[in-house]
Amino acid sequence: MPKAFAMIMAGGSGPALSVLTEVRAESAVGFAGKFRLIDFPLSNCVNSDIYNVAVLTQYRPHTLNAHIGTGTPWDLDLTSGGMHLLQPYQGGPYGDWQRGTADAVRRNLDFVMDQNEENVLILAGDHIYLMDYRPMLRQHAASGSDLTVAVRRVNPHETHRYGIVSVGSDDRIVGFEEKPRRTRGNLASMGIYVFRKKVLVDLLTATEPVDFGRDVLPAMIGGAFKVQAHVFPGYWADVGTVQSYWEANMALLSENPALDLYDPSWVVHTRSLERGPVKIGANAQVHGNLLSNGCCVDGTVHRSVLSPGVRVAEGAIVQDSVILRDVVIEAGAVVDRCIIDRGAVVGAGAQVGSGDDNTPNLESPEVLSSGLTLVGRGCRIGPEWVVGRNVILHPGVVTGEGGKKKSRLIPSGASLGEAAR
Amino acid sequence: MLLAGGEGSRLTVLSEKRAKPAVPFAGKFRIIDFTLSNCVNSGIYTVGVLTQYRPHSLADHIGIGKPWNLDRARGGVRILPPYQERGGQHWYAGTADAIYQNLGFLRDNQADLVVILSGDHIYKMDYAPMIQAHLDRGADLTVAVMPVPLEETHRFGIMVVDGEGRITEFYEKPKERDKGNLASMGIYVFSASALERRLNEEPGVRVDFGRDIIPAMVTGGDRVLSYRFEGYWVDVGTIDSYWATNLELLGSKPGLDLYSHDLPILTRSEERPAVKVGPQGRISNSLVSNGCVVRGTVINSVLSPGVQVSPGAVVQDSVVMNDTWIGPGARLDRVVVDKQVVVGGGVALGTGDPSVPNALHPDKIYAGISVVGKGAILPDGAVIGRNVLIGMDRDESHFPPDRQVGDGQTI
Repeated sequence: MPKAFAMIMAGGSGPALSVLTEVRAESAVGFAGKFRLIDFPLSNCVNSDIYNVAVLTQYRPHTLNAHIGTGTPWDLDLTSGGMHLLQPYQGGPYGDWQRGTADAVRRNLDFVMDQNEENVLILAGDHIYLMDYRPMLRQHAASGSDLTVAVRRVNPHETHRYGIVSVGSDDRIVGFEEKPRRTRGNLASMGIYVFRKKVLVDLLTATEPVDFGRDVLPAMIGGAFKVQAHVFPGYWADVGTVQSYWEANMALLSENPALDLYDPSWVVHTRSLERGPVKIGANAQVHGNLLSNGCCVDGTVHRSVLSPGVRVAEGAIVQDSVILRDVVIEAGAVVDRCIIDRGAVVGAGAQVGSGDDNTPNLESPEVLSSGLTLVGRGCRIGPEWVVGRNVILHPGVVTGEGGKKKSRLIPSGASLGEAAR
Repeated sequence: MLLAGGEGSRLTVLSEKRAKPAVPFAGKFRIIDFTLSNCVNSGIYTVGVLTQYRPHSLADHIGIGKPWNLDRARGGVRILPPYQERGGQHWYAGTADAIYQNLGFLRDNQADLVVILSGDHIYKMDYAPMIQAHLDRGADLTVAVMPVPLEETHRFGIMVVDGEGRITEFYEKPKERDKGNLASMGIYVFSASALERRLNEEPGVRVDFGRDIIPAMVTGGDRVLSYRFEGYWVDVGTIDSYWATNLELLGSKPGLDLYSHDLPILTRSEERPAVKVGPQGRISNSLVSNGCVVRGTVINSVLSPGVQVSPGAVVQDSVVMNDTWIGPGARLDRVVVDKQVVVGGGVALGTGDPSVPNALHPDKIYAGISVVGKGAILPDGAVIGRNVLIGMDRDESHFPPDRQVGDGQTI
């Protein structure tokens, strides 16, 4: 296999994930119960025998840094190679804030030049997929390409959401359209690139592109470079919006999900929390769920994904929801179609995601209109409160405890608190 | 110093190829996790683990001690196996002999105090207050004690103490019931000098703490004190107590809280995804570990990582270990199933008369619990009674043609 090192773009703020990314980088958002988004590209790397991995950070990296640590869960705590966490810095010809994916790599060009491998694998930190990069690297070497782009076939009605490539003979890429309104092509770029290192270094020394998809790819296709497509047939999801994040979690609950997390030949590694087994109480009802270690369920949980340490008290009902770490749902509370972030508390008898009023979120209707309610990290919803749909509770919102019944209502479409700064 | 060399023969097939401290417990843990975690939770970061019987599973589990933060440049965890020396080679003849043969390790670590522990007890304990009491009272030896039911005193070292808590009499597993009910938990804090002095007096003769060393110290003028422990403590020595102690973790107020953040029990977690509960899956009053896929019914049971329960299968009042596959329609009732067992479709495991003890091991398997060894394959449709023992790696060829295994039988 040709030698490559990987650079994972993990600096993005993921604005469309709303409250989840107000407190952490997008790639550190929890997924499928016990994982974080970055676990997928990181595990793909080591499962593909790539043990030299850089993670490029910028936006709110603290959770991500704590998660990665020295890279032990991925066996990336090595003396040579292993895990490199690259942060924005000052000084030298390249030091400054990163403005986009290509710019982020350019800011770290010294690092790129220092590596011995002759190829660079560029990955996104926020995509969900299980992929062996080795066939792509072999194709890249065998075809003598300067750049190989992983692509996958998408439905015609989805093409407007992606960068669409058109290929000639021998999988050579001859055209590229960024989010076209109309196109004949159906091969979407997955944001996964293999560059010949020398080509990439020359390009980033001579020019200052901002984004790989928007700037580098079109420039190279138009220039004298050999750019190839590598078709990936498996499951791939960009969970960059609240809706797609929720759907990708829910998709794991089907009998045979497209994303097989239970395949012993392609293990997704993560920093597991030290928690006891899932404890199910005598009167609990659990159907169609993912439940992580440390959860204690005494109530009812249907079609939901629970991260480690979630407690669902007796008489509480949780359905069609994604509940992140250490959330407490107190007795008799009802949670319906919600995403509840870490450490939040839903008081006894409260209803979150309640009623038939589907008024889109008034503050950001483009983010939230499908009926999901978002509860930010550490929010406390008092007992007997009623929270409608498409509601955003920004991190740390604490509702009052007492008050009249009327005042304990947060209507559909409302937003409480401020986006954390 | 953790004593982890014991065979634990009463656990039958569970400890056939692994030392008793390495037997899985409470789903994702192993028995030794409790003592090891107690050590680090008490601020003890130099730990010797004395092994002898089938140590491989235990050594794999402990590794370099990472899960317990015992991978250290100074101190940390050290496996202390029996060894050969110029004068010959000696197996560890008993608990005290094992320590005697490793006095060099204690001297190298310049220990003032030595805490001797058993690697096969289930409990959460902060040893620091006991060590403090040992120092405050100027003891040579402090023994942790707890009251036990009078009818069980024959299983323990029983002590008589005076008003100050000083141990005046010590009886190892007394047959008579007139010695009181204060039992030793096998947790000893020694002043290193007293320990070394007593071990050196008659090496090769005084081989056991309970039988030899402690009586000698009590009668020989050493200051031997008791330290009262209030809390949950179990020696899971038998199949019956192993099964019952696992199931005691269920319910709303178990004696042992695995979910509190103080004194956490640490283990080498397997890399597994979340528990998946299928749409028809039903789980009640159970512990289910990561990587399990439940499409059938699980009631009052403890499942280790990676157990698969097929549709229509019912697992009740049972302990099932890692990666066992339970076929469609199979029924398990009051059984302990080791790792990587295949329970064929429609198998009835644990059915019949619980009062017929196992014919081969009537003293070990008698409480109605059937036991299946690691890697066994139970053929489709087999009907297996109670108090049955199925050995490791047994398969269809070892079963009778009609696949009926009566109560108390052994395969």
